[in-house]
Amino acid sequence: MFENAGSRLKAWLVAGIGTAAALALAGVLGAFGARHEPMQLLAPTGRIETGQWLLRPLRAYTAEGENLYGAPLKPGARALVLEVEMTNRTAKSSKDYFDVLQATVDPSSKPFIVLTRDSTLSPELHPGMPERMAYIWELPGGSAPPASLDLTVIRKTYKQRDNLYGLPGWFNPAPAGTLTLPVGSGPDTADIQP
Amino acid sequence: MTAQDLVQQSGLGERKWRRRSLWALLLLIPLTLAVDGYDSIKALLADNDLFARRVAWGQSVHFGGSDWKLTDLRGAFGMANLPPDSVPVLADFSVKVGDPDLQKLWLGCKVMLIDAAGRRWTPTSAVTLKASGDVQTCTSAIFSGARSGDTLNLRETFLVPKDVTKTIRPAVGLASERPHFLLFQLERD
Amino acid sequence: MMRKTANIVLLLVAVAFCYGLQMSKPHYGDLIGPIPARGKMGETIVGRNFEARAEKVAFARNLKVDRFGETKILTTGGVWAVVTVEFAARAQSTSVAVASWRGPTGLAYDQTERMSFADGLLPVAIDPGLPKKARLVFELRPDEASNATLLISEKLMSALDSQAEISLGPVATASDGLPASTVDTLDMSQPI
Repeated sequence: MFENAGSRLKAWLVAGIGTAAALALAGVLGAFGARHEPMQLLAPTGRIETGQWLLRPLRAYTAEGENLYGAPLKPGARALVLEVEMTNRTAKSSKDYFDVLQATVDPSSKPFIVLTRDSTLSPELHPGMPERMAYIWELPGGSAPPASLDLTVIRKTYKQRDNLYGLPGWFNPAPAGTLTLPVGSGPDTADIQP
Repeated sequence: MTAQDLVQQSGLGERKWRRRSLWALLLLIPLTLAVDGYDSIKALLADNDLFARRVAWGQSVHFGGSDWKLTDLRGAFGMANLPPDSVPVLADFSVKVGDPDLQKLWLGCKVMLIDAAGRRWTPTSAVTLKASGDVQTCTSAIFSGARSGDTLNLRETFLVPKDVTKTIRPAVGLASERPHFLLFQLERD
Repeated sequence: MMRKTANIVLLLVAVAFCYGLQMSKPHYGDLIGPIPARGKMGETIVGRNFEARAEKVAFARNLKVDRFGETKILTTGGVWAVVTVEFAARAQSTSVAVASWRGPTGLAYDQTERMSFADGLLPVAIDPGLPKKARLVFELRPDEASNATLLISEKLMSALDSQAEISLGPVATASDGLPASTVDTLDMSQPI
């Protein structure tokens, strides 16, 4: 055993250095910092950048009936409407805006997303063209309308080659921040930013 | 044996086996291509109408569990609001149902007109001509609940250029019979 | 000695060759992508199963459409581009469903989804021997109107199938940034 001690020690040292190098590389690439970042609080006035979209929240209010841009809600239902100006930052027309904003306080029902210009339901948005969109959440009947709207902004990252088809796309949704907007009553609420 | 003889012997053995391996390639490469392409070829044959079975005029042929006969092929000349130099063509079939499981046997029913150059026309929705109550299209016949022994009258409407009306022949393809399809001949053929 | 250097040189050449092969291999998306059939406006572009000929491009600030008997004016933040294209099928009846406008900077604008009820939009069903005209409507940024390419294919997933690439050529720009030939309102209920 004594005569092998030298070579065994060498083997242990090599293994140890290799492991230490792998851990250091992972640390440098950010593996250990990632899960400890706190959620960013975004300012509601101003612009929010995710990978694909540039968002400018405009106003939030409760409405019903004809003020809902023709969204197919139940008759007589009240809804929470969030108007936001969205610009497609990608190089192709896209309608991947269904998960960009998630309401945390309000009912987790999926919103209708409407182009306010002509009340078209969920059209594709084209590159570089800002459009005013309305996210419409149906409020459960009988509940008091909320005073403020908490939203989580989800961002996706661009991969030039995905793992399944080798084609480019936007994947891995992750929260980019939260913001809170005051909720007005009725569609004549003022915009919070020009 | 001298050492040189031994070396020569092993050299000869190596040469023999190298030759045998090369000859074996002649067999293995086509075999690999066949095994790799088997699924693709099966899909190709199942999705395309490739081999025509000619049906003489007036003859009835067993296809997809039922007996098919072409009864008429005529053009509806003189209609207005059509693209220039086009004419609607109607193909009528009389089908005696054998196996009533039409939803399985007649799935993917495709009635076409094929001209002498091999161009194919599928039924058009641009023209609707009034038909009597018991005439239906192939796809609606699938769900008509026909029983064994019933005779169905099928009609499909096509829009073709005027200059192919002399050479077009009706054809019927079914998913259960692909890659074979029926090509009906007219009286003058 | 000569043997050794020759071996090393051969090894280096092999490494360089393999590296060159790896670097020059096309992206998988291009390998299985659509096969382009290129042409200019006014030329008939022949694809595998369809032919396309772009006849004219019209620009407008607004579009007038008839929807369920009501007239609607569609506005835009950019400019509307309406391309009239004549299609013909080659060997089989088929339908052409997908078109997009690729601007000079590479931004790709899909057909508008705001006008599904107007006449002459894609998808259009075509039969061999019977050419048919269609109108492709796009909503673009004014700076993407000149030197653009029209990309037309039968289906959305046109892997290894023909895609017509029609160069639309330069477009003169007026002082307000919009194309010089922009009209105020284009009536989409007019026949094509």
